[in-house]
Amino acid sequence: MNLDDLISLGHDELVNITDRELTEAYEEARDETDRESYGATYPNIRRLCSTPFEREKDRREVRQAMDECDAEMQEWYERARTESCTWWLENQLVARHALNGCMGCGICTAECPAAQYYDDYNPRVIADAAISGDEDRLVELLKSELLWYCGQCGSCRAKCPRENNLMGLISSLRFLAQLKGYHLASARGRQQYAGRHLWGGNLWNRAFSLYFRNASAEGHPDFGPRHAQYQSQVDEQMRRIGASPDADGLFGGRKVPPETLAELRRSIAWGGTLALWNQLEEHAAEDARASGESIDEYHDRVGSEG
Amino acid sequence: MKIPENDFFLTPSCVLGALNPGTEVLIGRIYDLLGLRWQAAGRDARSKTTCCTGISSHGDVMSMESTLLVVARLWSVAAEMGFENITTACVTSFAIHTECLEMYEHEPGLAGRVDGWLRRACGRGLRMPKTVVHASDIVHRYRHGLGEHFRYRLVEHATGLPLRVVDHVGCHYAKVFPEKVGGAEWCDVLTGMIRAWGGETVDYPQRRHCCGMGFRQCMIRPNRGYTMACALKKLESMAPYRPDFILTNCPGCNMILDKEQWAIREMTGVDYSIPTLSYTELAGLLLGWDPYDVVGIQAHNVRLEPLLDKIGIPNDRSREWIAEEIPELVQIA
Repeated sequence: MNLDDLISLGHDELVNITDRELTEAYEEARDETDRESYGATYPNIRRLCSTPFEREKDRREVRQAMDECDAEMQEWYERARTESCTWWLENQLVARHALNGCMGCGICTAECPAAQYYDDYNPRVIADAAISGDEDRLVELLKSELLWYCGQCGSCRAKCPRENNLMGLISSLRFLAQLKGYHLASARGRQQYAGRHLWGGNLWNRAFSLYFRNASAEGHPDFGPRHAQYQSQVDEQMRRIGASPDADGLFGGRKVPPETLAELRRSIAWGGTLALWNQLEEHAAEDARASGESIDEYHDRVGSEG
Repeated sequence: MKIPENDFFLTPSCVLGALNPGTEVLIGRIYDLLGLRWQAAGRDARSKTTCCTGISSHGDVMSMESTLLVVARLWSVAAEMGFENITTACVTSFAIHTECLEMYEHEPGLAGRVDGWLRRACGRGLRMPKTVVHASDIVHRYRHGLGEHFRYRLVEHATGLPLRVVDHVGCHYAKVFPEKVGGAEWCDVLTGMIRAWGGETVDYPQRRHCCGMGFRQCMIRPNRGYTMACALKKLESMAPYRPDFILTNCPGCNMILDKEQWAIREMTGVDYSIPTLSYTELAGLLLGWDPYDVVGIQAHNVRLEPLLDKIGIPNDRSREWIAEEIPELVQIA
């Protein structure tokens, strides 16, 4: 099957292709090299990015990588799904270092840009919930929209008299919400399925969390017509100043070789992240079934709601 | 922390590479001009460079242990290339690398565990760097020497008066580890450059406010109202002080404070048109490097040519687009 056919197929049509055929077809297309212009460039990377084909390949590779990896952290995060929220707060690496006691002074809220924007958001309450040890309260927090309001800027961290890491605590609780499937209860939480395939997909396939074509004019109407003009000739503009769009090179847009990707993927796997990515797939599949959508329709919808 | 003198392993930035590639390429050009020894993880098809996981980590889809391993792998690559000083192009990478170092300090036994995992995952060992600094720290350290190469100063060409410059230091540079270089309360990294290069630093009430980039806030479209509100708060706060431009050291801030000005004008009717420049773009322009072919000012939404005219830097806006004729701006929905 050629690339044009593969990138036109959705999940439901791709299920009949074997894992090996899918991965080999992807890698062959990804590594196809155009040596005629600008040294070596890889014209298919842009065509593969963010397609149902890429997402389906990633689902299969994540499952396979999990099977092949006996990392203790992978087992730890799988176990964490069934433990309580308070167990997580006492044992997870970031969470257990995040709070050195909180005296409820509220400087975190006073400094927080998100608290200034969202009327119902107050990061001090998140610290308070974490300290409370109240499981019901924590579950309610993990199912809420407000868990997802923090912009991860760290403004709270610089001012906290106890040097608490609220930004880290919130990110840690978001991770737990996704492991347990509580994120499905909020529109902002459901967005994580699109986020995982955007940031995680870029990292897994292109070794960077942001791919330069993610800044397309279609995705960023808020950047206006001048940005759209720049994007219409982004390859030429990047090459002009010495960057490497979909090419071998040092700076922006570079393609990294399969050996580097393989090391990166094994590093991610050994740190236990794939336990989350696999859970996100299972939760999304269940949610999509309940709403009568294909997984591709679900992916597109949850990324545009909120 | 003392800023190292030389020998830097440079880690590239996701956001700069995608949206403001000139800023990133200029880091290497400036290091070369200063005669510094530096490398990134390979210039060709054998590149060993990767992301630090920053966006995925703050986008909440990456475990801390995976981040520790990805960063440890980068440190291992740096060490095998003979480097002990990490300079990051991105401020979030600065915070991520620093957070990893802190985690090893606070968690007994973690270094040994990560070393074992990294050996099994990649056949590499954990090799801690001596220092982690941001590339703006290096430019700040050498700001006076770099200034000796400048063809232009931060002064108005016609009057000789200093330009009025506001700074916006990246949150993940100054706030996440306020006791490290830079610091949250008194941060000279950008104002020091402005003063050394002839400009006047201008304070404004929301100087410390975040630009609103927010990872999942700007990258997932329905959440972008938060991003725009933060950018608007910054612009409203600095506008009364009539700054000539905003100087940044953060890839996300350089993007948001510039690019959101179009939507803010459409939504509020107020046209701020305050140019935004990164510290390397500014240095490149003052060095007299080509604004379009080297610095890449055409990547900016707010035009920089009026600022260049004020300084006296020659420019030809017909060169910004790559075409025989200047095309009409494309229409978007």
